[in-house]
Amino acid sequence: MSPIGRDTPLLDARERVEGRLPYVLNLSLPGMLHAKVLRSSHPHARITRIDAAAAAHAPGVVAVLTGRELAEADSIQHLYGIGTRDQPILAVDKVRFVGEPVAAVAAETRDQAEAALDLIEVDYEALPSVDNEMAAVAPGAPILHDDVADNIVTHYKLRRGDVDAAFAASDLVLEETYTSPTAQQVTMEPHVSIAQFTDGRLTVHTASQSPYGVRRVLAEIFGLKPEEVRVIVGPLGGGYGAKAHVRLEPIAAALAWKTGGRPVKFVATRAEEFVIVTKHAVTIKIKSGVMRDGRLTAREVTSWWNTGAYADAGFMLTRGGMLRSIGPYRIPAVRADGYGVYTNRPPAAAFRGAMASQGAWAYESHMDSLAHALDMAPIELRRKNILREGDAWATGEIMHDAHYEECLDEALRLLDEGRPLARAEGSIRRGRGAAVMMKNPQAPSRSEARVVLRGDGRATVYTSTVEMGQGAHTALAQIAADRLGLPAHSMQVVGPDTDQTPFDQITSGSRSTHMMGNAVLRAAQAVADEVRELGRRRYEVELGEITLADGHLHTPDGQSVPYADLLNWAGVAQVEQRGEFKTEQNLDENHQGVTCSHWHQGAGACEVEVDIETGKLTVTRYAGTSWAGKVVNPVRARAQNQGNIIYGLGPTLCEEMVFDGGQVINANLADYLIPSILDIPLHLHTASLESKEKDADMEGIGEMTLPCVAPAVANALYDALGIRLRDLPLTAERIWRALHLEEVRHEHSREH
Amino acid sequence: MTDLVFLEPATLAEANSLLAEHGGAAKLLAGGTAVVLLLGQKLIRPAALISLGRVEGLQGIAVDAEGALHVRPMASLAQVAADERVRRGWPLLAMACAEVGNVRVRNQATLGGNMAEADYASDPPAALVALDGYVRIVGPRGERQAALAEFFLGFYTTTLAEDELLIEIVVPPLPSRASSAYLKYKSRSSEDRPCVGVAAVLAVEDGACTAARVAVGAACETPQRFPALERELVGQRLTPAIVGEFAGAYAAALPEPLDDLRGSAWYRREMTRVHVRRALSALAGLETAQ
Repeated sequence: MSPIGRDTPLLDARERVEGRLPYVLNLSLPGMLHAKVLRSSHPHARITRIDAAAAAHAPGVVAVLTGRELAEADSIQHLYGIGTRDQPILAVDKVRFVGEPVAAVAAETRDQAEAALDLIEVDYEALPSVDNEMAAVAPGAPILHDDVADNIVTHYKLRRGDVDAAFAASDLVLEETYTSPTAQQVTMEPHVSIAQFTDGRLTVHTASQSPYGVRRVLAEIFGLKPEEVRVIVGPLGGGYGAKAHVRLEPIAAALAWKTGGRPVKFVATRAEEFVIVTKHAVTIKIKSGVMRDGRLTAREVTSWWNTGAYADAGFMLTRGGMLRSIGPYRIPAVRADGYGVYTNRPPAAAFRGAMASQGAWAYESHMDSLAHALDMAPIELRRKNILREGDAWATGEIMHDAHYEECLDEALRLLDEGRPLARAEGSIRRGRGAAVMMKNPQAPSRSEARVVLRGDGRATVYTSTVEMGQGAHTALAQIAADRLGLPAHSMQVVGPDTDQTPFDQITSGSRSTHMMGNAVLRAAQAVADEVRELGRRRYEVELGEITLADGHLHTPDGQSVPYADLLNWAGVAQVEQRGEFKTEQNLDENHQGVTCSHWHQGAGACEVEVDIETGKLTVTRYAGTSWAGKVVNPVRARAQNQGNIIYGLGPTLCEEMVFDGGQVINANLADYLIPSILDIPLHLHTASLESKEKDADMEGIGEMTLPCVAPAVANALYDALGIRLRDLPLTAERIWRALHLEEVRHEHSREH
Repeated sequence: MTDLVFLEPATLAEANSLLAEHGGAAKLLAGGTAVVLLLGQKLIRPAALISLGRVEGLQGIAVDAEGALHVRPMASLAQVAADERVRRGWPLLAMACAEVGNVRVRNQATLGGNMAEADYASDPPAALVALDGYVRIVGPRGERQAALAEFFLGFYTTTLAEDELLIEIVVPPLPSRASSAYLKYKSRSSEDRPCVGVAAVLAVEDGACTAARVAVGAACETPQRFPALERELVGQRLTPAIVGEFAGAYAAALPEPLDDLRGSAWYRREMTRVHVRRALSALAGLETAQ
């Protein structure tokens, strides 16, 4: 029986439970120093003076760094970034957000490093600041970067059909604006990096989702060949996009560069987490034309993504955001613009379900608004327009393997939508809502894997996919085990270690099961083919007649041999093969063409209760679905689907970073609330939908039930109370105020 | 933090003399759930921590001959919440202690620490104010008592002097035929602290109110009680309208409600109105809905 499709416990389940998982957070190297960073207290200011001399002589201090020193070092390229090199390792002339690193210290102990920070004097000359994306693009806004005069660091556009003519010919045109705020990923394990220079090589142990991305950026910063940088990644205590790009590594490495070979460990505090990386705040203006029968005719979507003080991953994410704000509908004319906007906030990057959550919040709330304007059931409006097999999407590409409606139907079925609903009971009002989502996977993209059948008859998968609790390593083991005829739990998975494990782009965007899974599958298939070839030579049977199962090679006439014996017979120490999987993208400047080979698809449906005396909303039932093609590990897929929904409830109901004068005022977990176990809907149902075809592809399901949560809940709120909220989160007070306004309006209309 | 001295006195006298010796430079440590956070965030930098963990006589819960409850300061919130005598005699206190944080916090945090910390957004202070509780305090000038209604002065401030130690929380028995309840309203996640917490004691005889005590926690800097309004309720036959009016008056009486991430001042006043009404309606056996 194939290991694929079977419930398989995590390979490291026992270590997790027993607390033996080797997190980088717990790693200590001989002679290791500890880093602390002095951070800006200003949202926007010129640095007129830094004096760090006293800190250098403080007890235990081994290295002190300022931005000026790095900027003047010949061997260091002190600016880095993905789309543009706009971010200094340490601020040089100017700070652009509260919390920006200004100076760094490495000392024998963390306390000594921290004490030394107090001895660093910095003089600032405050500049006007701006922290809202719309204020930042308004004329006369303070400019963050001299070379970006309008604060728009990047702009992507999509053009299809004559949108204006289509609006003019529509029966109804509706325009709305939706916002979602800056939030934080809140991984259980904070960011942590350890860096060491030895004989001109840089070794970094880090909690990162992108070992090869970190390697590339560090090589660029220190003028090294990529092979001279070794990045080793342990298991992560959660990633959610927060660790998808370079974070603490440049500072840890820059300090290590000054310590004469001693390793430097940099661990972020929880408060620092909130200024290291955030989720993009965004303002999305969405306008749709529709005919009376519900056919969508045109859509215009303009999105302003608040990337914070530095672009970070903002180029590819703004592009993703532009595409992910359109929706899974058949719309003949589409105009979309996505702007990446600099503001004096901490840098923003991916947040599980990157940009698709913010996008779906807008387009799926908007779909319900359109339906109500047409006096049509929201589900019917979706059915009229939803992408089906052979439809063209906004890019013009033809949709294959389109299962949006199936996802929606299954979510509604799981919610048991036909069940009667007591709409009013005391001060409680109830309602239902639904939403559908689409997300393009990263493309072009590439993953490589190496699979080795060892002399002992067992196998090892070498992969740079990061295990961050999602169960990727277990899924990869199952995939290899399937091809090799081995039990999944006997597999060893090694990596990531850029000296040992081959290239992988990144562990994010629900790509690992699909991309790395296929690379592993190819490598394992090649190993299996080679083993069969050995069997053919030994037993002189046809290749096609040989089967591999239970660690043995079997011939049709009933002979069988353990792999170890077969390898021994052939005089082969081990069988090793590589596999690669690549995807392409072909889009023109108007984003016409082909985005990707398959699309992430999901849906959600829910039931909510609102206490009209307090505005408090409770999600009582939630059903989420994702298109999986073929599920590798059902128990983990279910956990992913459920985890997404729980994670998604945070930004829906309460998560929001609040700023005052550029300073985050709730940078702790008592004031920044995430859902607790008691906030999980009592009835939580999920499904990973599979193809009926035997050779269906394994698709990623790591995010697909998340983006629907906010719009499904907001649509249910509307269903319960007739209130349309367009700003997240849907706090009790916001709902209460909206209710209050409705009452006022109602009173008003009765008087006239 | 490296030179922080950790002291573990064994007796009250020792604890008092250590306090006197270190003056303001020492911080008392009870359960540590607040102090450790403050230390971690560098909001306090004491030279010494004086742990009360080994001090004799600071543990335990007792009921005296007059029926008053005596809670020693090192009793954990979990112990108070689970104590059968407290649950029977002062259910309001058990309910409030059971609402704090989560089970890990409640096992560690102490009732004495909770009083001395005077966190505006904690649950037990309002409960003890509504229960007419008082604290016994010892210091170099001897022992004194302070009614909890007067003990809390503002955000994290009480009448406790730097050299004083809280040694007991005393709660008189409830009036006859009284019932009591704590109603916590959380505006965000289920583990949030209260946006408002209403502690109510109500006694009804022959259909008429004979005693009413209501304290509103977390809405202002300190728990709020308005005895004049409470007295107006005595003698009245409780109806939804009367309870609603009382709740409205209570909400209106709040001096400067807080404005923070759990709710604006305006919202807090509204939530006070709703939850005072709900708490009293529940105790009076009235319909809770509008």
